[in-house]
Amino acid sequence: MLPLATGSMGAMLDRDLAEEVLRAARTHGGGFAEIFVEERTSTSIRLDDGKVEELTTGLDRGAGIRVGTPETTSFGFAHTNRLDRDALLEAAEAAAASLRAGTPGDVADLRALEPPVRHRAQRPADAVAAAEKVSWVREADEVARGVSPEVRQVVVSYVDSLQRILIATSDGRWVEESRPRIRLVPHVVAARDDNIQTGLHGPAGSAGVEFFDEHPVAETARIAAQRAVTMLDSIPAPAGEMTVVLAPGTGGVLFHEACGHPLEADIVDHEASVYRGKIGERVASELVTGVDDATVLNGWGSFGLDDEGAPAQRTPMFEQGVLSGWLYDRLRADKEGVPSSGNGRRQSYSSPPIPRMTNTYIVNGSSTAADVLGSTPQGVYVKAMGGGQVNPATGDFVFGVAEGYLIQGGELTTPVRGANLIGRAIEVMSAVDAVCDDFSTWEGVCGKDGQGVPVGSGSPTLRISRMTVGGTDA
Amino acid sequence: MPDVVSLGDLCVAAIEAAEGGEAVEAFAQESRSREAEARKGEIEGLSSAQSRGVGIRLISDGGRLGYAYAADPTADEVRRAVAQARDNAALASSDAFNVLPDPAPVPDMPDLYRSSQAEMPIDRLVALALDLEQRTTSIDPRVSKVEVCQAGDSVSRVALASTAGVDAAYERTDTWCVAVTLAEEGDDVQTGYSYRIGRELDELGWHEVAFEAVTRAARMLGAQKPPSARVPVVMDPFAASAFLGVLSSALSAESVQKGRSLFADRLGDQIGSEIVTIVDDGTLLEGPAAAPFDDEGVASGRTALIENGRLAAFLHNTYTARRGDTTSTGNASRAGYRSSPGVGTSNFYLEAGPADPEELLLRAEGGVLVQEVTGVHSGANPISGTFSVGATGLRIREGGLEEGLREMTIASTIPEMLAGVTAVGNDLRFFSSVGTPSILIGEMTVGGV
Repeated sequence: MLPLATGSMGAMLDRDLAEEVLRAARTHGGGFAEIFVEERTSTSIRLDDGKVEELTTGLDRGAGIRVGTPETTSFGFAHTNRLDRDALLEAAEAAAASLRAGTPGDVADLRALEPPVRHRAQRPADAVAAAEKVSWVREADEVARGVSPEVRQVVVSYVDSLQRILIATSDGRWVEESRPRIRLVPHVVAARDDNIQTGLHGPAGSAGVEFFDEHPVAETARIAAQRAVTMLDSIPAPAGEMTVVLAPGTGGVLFHEACGHPLEADIVDHEASVYRGKIGERVASELVTGVDDATVLNGWGSFGLDDEGAPAQRTPMFEQGVLSGWLYDRLRADKEGVPSSGNGRRQSYSSPPIPRMTNTYIVNGSSTAADVLGSTPQGVYVKAMGGGQVNPATGDFVFGVAEGYLIQGGELTTPVRGANLIGRAIEVMSAVDAVCDDFSTWEGVCGKDGQGVPVGSGSPTLRISRMTVGGTDA
Repeated sequence: MPDVVSLGDLCVAAIEAAEGGEAVEAFAQESRSREAEARKGEIEGLSSAQSRGVGIRLISDGGRLGYAYAADPTADEVRRAVAQARDNAALASSDAFNVLPDPAPVPDMPDLYRSSQAEMPIDRLVALALDLEQRTTSIDPRVSKVEVCQAGDSVSRVALASTAGVDAAYERTDTWCVAVTLAEEGDDVQTGYSYRIGRELDELGWHEVAFEAVTRAARMLGAQKPPSARVPVVMDPFAASAFLGVLSSALSAESVQKGRSLFADRLGDQIGSEIVTIVDDGTLLEGPAAAPFDDEGVASGRTALIENGRLAAFLHNTYTARRGDTTSTGNASRAGYRSSPGVGTSNFYLEAGPADPEELLLRAEGGVLVQEVTGVHSGANPISGTFSVGATGLRIREGGLEEGLREMTIASTIPEMLAGVTAVGNDLRFFSSVGTPSILIGEMTVGGV
């Protein structure tokens, strides 16, 4: 048994038992069998209305067992949060039951895999006293309230977690990895008479508490509060087709939703991708080069090995506007006889892995933001994005704008509220006419098939020459 | 199988670990669920799951709240969770409104649990999923593929006990099926969605799901962006339910007390059309969230929140009720054993009216039937109630549905929308725990080109 990177709980699963369970899962054959064992400890703190409402500590653990058949991209899956031999064998049997008949498959000797990169916590959050974490949450509250007397309410959410995973597969993969994650999000409400506006900001990383050296809590709180207060001066957004300039980081959110999801291999395999059959074709402006990169050191969407044991990598998506390829998990990659791109991810042991993004970036171009704004006579500037939705089959998307401004005569003027960006992926990405050199990131939790996973996105300032803005000032 | 400690025994272990002056509540939950996904005549995915866990809420002498949970714990681990919750409480702010509810009689709801469903062999689930895909792909030649075709069920048990004397439990079966189709014609691709939920798989309307998923995709083929106009709008239950979700947060007493609701200080006011009645009812058996008691053990009941357009009540749990000097409406809600109870809806719905959906169409000449809205989550401000969302639907002419319309935007406010309802359909149905019939809104701005 290999020593674990952190923790005093010992190994999560004995190798002999892992082999026995894999063998049971392959009773009826199938392409491969896999066990994913997880133990996750977490601390969360919520401050609301000036009060530390609640501290929660949790311990989650369980195992998911999968038997996959790449030829048909089909699988049997069972999970349990009991890790004793009986429960694991019972789950293996349930997973194997998806295959009606077939001869038992082999189980190779388990060999430990080394990740290409490790995202370590310098100062692990689980070694820091809860009282110190409470002090950060209180600091965020005080700083946010100090920004303006118009700040009416502040909610601060803090969470850190340590996910320890173990993967064993019938073709001999043995993976152990510890993934620390940390995030603090102030959510600020500002009010002036009947006008109520909100602002939030929440940088996040796969790191320890040293994350807050680079992203000081006070700065995060100030940005969130300033956003809410600024929006008090906003007017209803105009509606119609116009030029849109996306601030650093926000274009990455749009790229993730509108372009990234349709590149996920399961969507392509289901013939539900707007990009299907277009590899090698121009699908965006030649200014747009995009990648999915799980190797970003301590990135929110990063890992060393994915949830199927494939190494983290930097995967090209668009190269100068030309579609490079898909984002693969194991089932889809094995079916096509290509290596997985390391995009097999799962929310936890209780969900089967599916193709997911990690850190999805549009890389820097050569324009400067000042020049691009200065040469935009009229339009909308998106400083912060709200949530969004996309239909991968058609590429139709809608995004909320959390903080936006009018562009008039090459300058940012009045803040606007209630704006939505509405369009179709290929049309909008083809209308990008400037990519700047001021890359920045934005972190979030992406939902797909009921599974939420941490994802990063990033981009420099981008300009879209024309797209639809759905505003409330019709 | 090794002996498994019962949920009730785990709760008892927690209560017995309470120290003097402390209030301790244990919420224990276990479930078994299954899901089958069909594609191209085969089962693409078959999943089965078991989980259990216990969450401990501890309120210290000074009204400080701590929480801890553990997945599949032993009795010792439950005691450890109580100790962790105690440590956590020591760092929380003191709040006199933190109390546990007293025990009270809860309704008996034996029909929540169907043993025939709990005992259904997995082969039957597999056959139903395959059958749904087969039906879905043989109705219209333009719809030969499904994007999603799934069926699933779960059996869950909840046990709750506290030092205040609450000691209650229930079991429930839940089932569901979903189909998302792809309609294709030339380069045009449209998707259509349908969904049903119920206590037993054999009670779901399988043919209706297939037919609906096909129709909703096929009728959108060739959809165009319409010119911007102010027109009557019919929202079908799929579209209307998206807005109800926004409304539920504004009707929560937690939002009201924290200054985050557009309805604060409006109790008793007329806030919508007289034909709008919105209700929360945890005892409604056909609602998916039906349960005899809420997530802290308070009896479920029916609460009219908006009655004939008048704001009649807010949703309360024990904390908000105490803070607001009223009684809990049985709306303590939590996302499983991992979190302490907040305020949430049970079965939350707009009451059905007298009109057939066809009648709504007849009354909306030249208007738009909206069948899907997107971006409500991002595009609606739950505090101010303003929203701008993307929508797809169809043109209404002479009571019939004509060409498909896409890339529309609808911008309004929740109060304007509630006031603008001029007819309510008799076709109430539930989507997750939110239900609505079709509604007719006299006039809305629908943005396009």
